[in-house]
Amino acid sequence: MAATSAPVPAYPDDPSRRGQRPNVASADVRLPAVRSYEQVDREIAATLHPSLGWFALLGVAILCMLIGAATWTYQIYEGLGAAGYHPPVMWGVYIVTFVFWVGIGHAGTLISAILYLFRAGFRTSIYRAAEAMTVFAVMTAGLFPILHLGRPWKFFYLIPYPNWRLIWPNPKSPLVWDVFAILTYLTISSTFLYVGLIPDIAALRDKETNPVRRQIYANMALGWRNSDREWRHFARAYLFLAALSTPLVLSVHSVVSFDFAMALTPGWHATIFPPYFVAGAIFSGLGMVFTIIIPIRKYFHLEHYVTLNDIDAAAKMCLFTSLVVGLAYLTEFQIAWVSGSTYEQDYFWNRVFGQWAWAAWIMLICNCVLPLSLFSQKLRRNTTWLWMLSLTINLGMWFERFVIVVPSLSHEFEPWRWSTYAPSWVDYCILLGSFGWFFMWFLLFIKQLPVLAISELKEVLPPKMRHPHVTSSQRAEHGGMANPLMNQPPLGGSH
Amino acid sequence: MQGVLGAFHEIDGAVHAIEDLGKHRFKDITVYTPTPRHEFEDVLARGPSKVRVFSLIFGLAGVTFGYWIAVWMSDYWPIVVGGKAIATWVPYTIFGFEVMVLVGGLATVYAMFGLAGLPRLTTTVGYDPRFSGGDYGVWVETTSDRADEAMELLRRHGAREVRSER
Repeated sequence: MAATSAPVPAYPDDPSRRGQRPNVASADVRLPAVRSYEQVDREIAATLHPSLGWFALLGVAILCMLIGAATWTYQIYEGLGAAGYHPPVMWGVYIVTFVFWVGIGHAGTLISAILYLFRAGFRTSIYRAAEAMTVFAVMTAGLFPILHLGRPWKFFYLIPYPNWRLIWPNPKSPLVWDVFAILTYLTISSTFLYVGLIPDIAALRDKETNPVRRQIYANMALGWRNSDREWRHFARAYLFLAALSTPLVLSVHSVVSFDFAMALTPGWHATIFPPYFVAGAIFSGLGMVFTIIIPIRKYFHLEHYVTLNDIDAAAKMCLFTSLVVGLAYLTEFQIAWVSGSTYEQDYFWNRVFGQWAWAAWIMLICNCVLPLSLFSQKLRRNTTWLWMLSLTINLGMWFERFVIVVPSLSHEFEPWRWSTYAPSWVDYCILLGSFGWFFMWFLLFIKQLPVLAISELKEVLPPKMRHPHVTSSQRAEHGGMANPLMNQPPLGGSH
Repeated sequence: MQGVLGAFHEIDGAVHAIEDLGKHRFKDITVYTPTPRHEFEDVLARGPSKVRVFSLIFGLAGVTFGYWIAVWMSDYWPIVVGGKAIATWVPYTIFGFEVMVLVGGLATVYAMFGLAGLPRLTTTVGYDPRFSGGDYGVWVETTSDRADEAMELLRRHGAREVRSER
């Protein structure tokens, strides 16, 4: 049995509270190597200086994006036939990748909103990167339904607005539900990201020496001055945005799952789809969070902010969602088994032992078997292992969507319609382009705006005191002052 | 706008200064703090933010509009699907919910901007860039005849720098 280290007292300076654990882990427990607000400002601002490595990565991302853009141009010229569709498989890589990116976009809001409401302290150091990841992932996902259109320039037909055609979208179609859900999610996630950034941008504005950048930051900060009035309304608005975003996270992938569950196709028509999709989305999003945050932590030397404890906690969440996803896979098989429907049973047999077995087993190994390693604390705290595991999770979750979309369409009710499907080079190039597009935005983000939340990190640090050794009991002896200053936990560990 | 600005390194000094200013009937006090702190909330006792009212009202407006637009679209261009009613409430809950979150969320942010006085074109009077770093600022709006008294109070509680601004 591993030896456990002695617990660090939450309030070391205050004997009357020494035995207590705060609701939110305080800085002396969570960020022992961070000493002052100035250190936070200095070290986070240092991440904004571009380097050769960053330019090289940005170049690769832009190149991939250009490959995708050129391929799309080719597809528009040639028609959708270039994309490897083969009846009856008329939903292929584009829809698979659409669901994949929407899923990636779930962890950010989960971490920034849901964990905020639960006052999970480990969220503070990782939520900004996760939130930015969400916005860029949803931006990427939003491209795919448009890519999938034969005439993509008419995508705006899906938006309900008074028009000369006198045509309105059909509100009973799950595709229209998607438009509402994803546009709402993109708008609210972007707003949430921006609102959280305002105090940090103001801090950058006040430190910036380059006049052009300073002016840009000044415009973006909207004249924020850190006044008590601003913080009071900010804290309330942030809380309400988190409260509104929380059901939104759950609803968006539920709505995406309706694209499938509303059809009668074997393998799709299941009531388990909404929770199954949501769990999978959070799982894949956490995988991408690790893919992004671990290199950022290493490259920018932020190990004392994104601590192993934070990573450990996020890895536990990843393990939990992996178990939920595994349970959902088993439940699907169980439902097919007891359903009495030969179509369902045959479909699931074909999925695991038939023509799509290779894809299904990649999915099962990556999503259910390998994440079991996270039961080991040693591996949860091994960032190299965790990063490699995150890549397999990304791969496994892409294949999960492939296994949902393609085998169902290729193996429907009539055997004479059974077919196969192979993506074309156009699909692969556009898939590559989507990664280029996503990482281009993310790389631009991390060099223009703070990748860690400056004001929230400061909030978990104990403030400077004139009389730091006066305890609450001593204050009580002196008549109990109106302002209980000493060692008070921060305002929610975040705003 | 005329007043006195005190810059503090330590939070307890700033809090005690605000308490003392209150006792001396200085009413118009603004605190600048790099992070929101309970200590200032307690001593200033401003009361709850009104942002919640906007969230509620616009959230309700959003859910109403969401249901209405879906019902209206169905009614304007009726399509019978699977023998179901033209306007089917259950799936339209998606529209109601999404538009509620969209309108309620955006209204919350705009309300925050409005109530906090953002965007603001200038940050100069009564503000110092140090207050987004590590220092705390206490700005007291006062007339010139009481400025010395306010400055003295701020210094007494450990203000590292006190200046009069207008």
